[in-house]
Amino acid sequence: MAEPTIVKLENVTLGYYTIPKGWRSLFKVKQPIVFNVNLNVIDGERVVIIGESGSGKTTLLKTILGILPPFQGKVYVLGKSIYDLPAKERKKITRQIGYVPQDPYKSLNPRVKVETVMMEPLERSNLTDREKRERIVEALKLVQLHERILEYYPMQLSGGMMQRVLIARAIVHDPEILVLDEPTSALDVSIQAQVINLLNNIQRKLELAMLTVTHDLAVAQYLADRVIIIYKGRIIEEGETRKVLTQPSQEYTRLLISSYRASI
Amino acid sequence: MVLAVKAENLKIGYEDEEIVWAVKGVSFKVEVAEIFCLVGESGCGKSTTGNAIVGILPPYSITDGVLRVFGKTVIEGNKRDYTGVRGRVVSYVPQNPGSSLNPYLTVEEQFYYVLNSVYGWGRRKALEEAAKYLKMVDLDPGRVMDYYPHELSGGMQQRTAIALALSTGAKIIVADEPTSALDAHLRLGLIRLLTRLRDTIKLTLIFITHDLLSAGKICDKIAIMYSGRILELGPSGKILTEPLHPYTEMLVDAVPILGVLKPLKAYGGEPPPPNVEVKGCLFLDRCPKKFEKCYQSHPSPEEVHERIVECWRYV
Amino acid sequence: MQGSSSDKLDISVAVRNVQKTLRSGTGIIALIIRTWRRSHRFKIGLLISLFIVIIGVLAPFLAPYPRDGLGYVPEDALLKIRLPPSQEHLFGTDTRGRDIFSRVVFGVRSALLQIFLVVSSSLLIGLFMGVLAAYYKGIVETVINYLIELFMSIPAIVIALALRLVLGSGLLTVVLALIITWWSWYGRVTYIYSRSIVEMDYVLLAKLSGVSGLKIILRHVVRNASPPVLVQAVTDLGSVLLEASAINFLGLGLPPDSPEWGVIMQEGIQYLSISPWISVFPGVFILVTALGFSLIGDSLREEVDPKLRRRWRLWF
Repeated sequence: MAEPTIVKLENVTLGYYTIPKGWRSLFKVKQPIVFNVNLNVIDGERVVIIGESGSGKTTLLKTILGILPPFQGKVYVLGKSIYDLPAKERKKITRQIGYVPQDPYKSLNPRVKVETVMMEPLERSNLTDREKRERIVEALKLVQLHERILEYYPMQLSGGMMQRVLIARAIVHDPEILVLDEPTSALDVSIQAQVINLLNNIQRKLELAMLTVTHDLAVAQYLADRVIIIYKGRIIEEGETRKVLTQPSQEYTRLLISSYRASI
Repeated sequence: MVLAVKAENLKIGYEDEEIVWAVKGVSFKVEVAEIFCLVGESGCGKSTTGNAIVGILPPYSITDGVLRVFGKTVIEGNKRDYTGVRGRVVSYVPQNPGSSLNPYLTVEEQFYYVLNSVYGWGRRKALEEAAKYLKMVDLDPGRVMDYYPHELSGGMQQRTAIALALSTGAKIIVADEPTSALDAHLRLGLIRLLTRLRDTIKLTLIFITHDLLSAGKICDKIAIMYSGRILELGPSGKILTEPLHPYTEMLVDAVPILGVLKPLKAYGGEPPPPNVEVKGCLFLDRCPKKFEKCYQSHPSPEEVHERIVECWRYV
Repeated sequence: MQGSSSDKLDISVAVRNVQKTLRSGTGIIALIIRTWRRSHRFKIGLLISLFIVIIGVLAPFLAPYPRDGLGYVPEDALLKIRLPPSQEHLFGTDTRGRDIFSRVVFGVRSALLQIFLVVSSSLLIGLFMGVLAAYYKGIVETVINYLIELFMSIPAIVIALALRLVLGSGLLTVVLALIITWWSWYGRVTYIYSRSIVEMDYVLLAKLSGVSGLKIILRHVVRNASPPVLVQAVTDLGSVLLEASAINFLGLGLPPDSPEWGVIMQEGIQYLSISPWISVFPGVFILVTALGFSLIGDSLREEVDPKLRRRWRLWF
């Protein structure tokens, strides 16, 4: 019995529009960043996209989240090609994604209490207030935060706590997949370890699919069943984590690994 | 032999309602042409210490203890005097490489303004020197001089910032988190560059970072800072493989390393905030190896083999 | 965990958190308390402004000749034209025999009414226009920016002239003329701040969670974009007063005989060398009131963001 595919990208070429200089500014020009990408994430799987800055990994995330239509190719989330749907339908589907952005300091509104942060994903559901409250407390428990934190403002929290609030927010509405952008880059070493362990626990407990994007090979090792290496917008290699990171078949992957080894 | 930097019980703080000490008394020595790392997590005081060496502490700071740079006393008690040192002997490369470069000036102009204001040189001499330093950091002056900072890649910006810092004739460079924004191969390139500079022009480097692994690779000596004090100080190789202080152990255990499939041990809790009075050892509430003595007071530095440790287990 | 000891811990933690929030809080109340503690200018400005406001509130009781204050000419007026300041008439009398002190005291009400109406309305309009432009982008952005540029470039006095022809004289003319020009400045500042806020991840997260545009704007964008303009608005109370007085002085706003400082100054301008008290006293009040608000606003602004660039606005 095949596991359902949560996310699938089929031959996706993707990028931004730029306005060239001079008379040509009458026409927008396509600037592709990602070329002919095929990838998928199966339910319960942990996939990590490894790429350095400028490789296009953040752009890929954007298209999966439903905010950047591709120039070419199709993006399937939960079986539906989201960019062939009207906006309302598409948003309904992408709401099943739990997204944790990169910088916890920019991802929380300093003027809003944690309670509101946690309530936001549930506003559209038709749960009673009590049910919502229960869900919130449960989500906070999973990230090892006490209910008390609901009364706090983001400024009163440490970086690690903020990141955990963001993770709790991403799971409170019971998503099908957790998508994370560089979850550990902004954090201190000891908090990084906490967050990595936390993410794996949550993923296991809630049986979620998890898609992470990072440049850190070591973090990828801990968060992935399968890795996908991306370079300059193209997928170079993919496969089971241990195999790719110990016996890479591509030159670029070898280069990544050797640079890493030489710098520690 | 003059030491590049010498700190004796250096304390740095600021006045809030009472004095809050960000750095609670650190002592260390940095030899000439040594690469010295201040390692710690956010809020431990490493950046403040770095700022003290560079001479960019804010005017409302309060200091105590002694800090000497190449023999000159720059901090003594609450008096600070950096004449002749700031910008000349010690230079600074901040965390975000782009931010130390003026976005309105080309690289050529940046060098000119700096060298002209420090040494009064004319354009031609300034450009000659600039070319010399750019070559030293593996940048082609012909290509880079005309560019604006935003036209350069992150790695190139950082090298330009280093060249600029060197061009003032600095013998010590303090670099704040130079590796955090970089990918692995850029990190490698930077490490190679800095070691080469150390070997060729006898540059002394003070590296401030939370990246334990890079520190271990590049530094000769590491000082592990926590909550304003140095908990362990010693040669880098041994510190990471045989940590003495429980905090160092915790850091080493918590770092994910490629190829090493150990479970990541995460220790809960956080460092005490600087304005809170802590009775006993500063690391007390997170230490897995504490005993009675630890509750009484913070340990003073002890010499153990080649290292200096602040832990009651070694007294 | 025991009940009472952990409660005590919670209370002290709570107190510390309140202190910490006040120290670094972004809320308006926290800001005001911080500024009070740190800035002498703030204290002086606040005192002056409070003093003026109290005068305005107690006007009917403070004015020895309340009917004069409202503009009516007293019966024995012809005997009392342009008397210099004395014990019966602290500020002297004007060209028609009315007590200037009473007129000036009632003038406080007029001044405060005008400036608060203008600033609050322009602020509301400007805030929303700026935020809408930054959030919805596209054609909305282009149109609103065009409007901002347009109205920012027209001086209020010119608009007052036009409105005078259409609406006649009165409070509406002067207030409307000022609102039409002032909103654009708030619009521009809000737009610039909102541009970066709209790119923040918390707005993205809200969008992804399906929160409606209006709610996002109110909850996330406006709350973070408003502090700089709110602070600016306080200083603007002073600037608007200067401009409103100018419009009234030129006869483009409130009609003659109104208890309004600019109007009183207008009446006395011909007699400046003979009976200076008619124009000088209201002038001094304009100055002091504007100063009070400016001091408050300036010290608040320094507390909020020392880098906040401000446009030097003349009163015409």
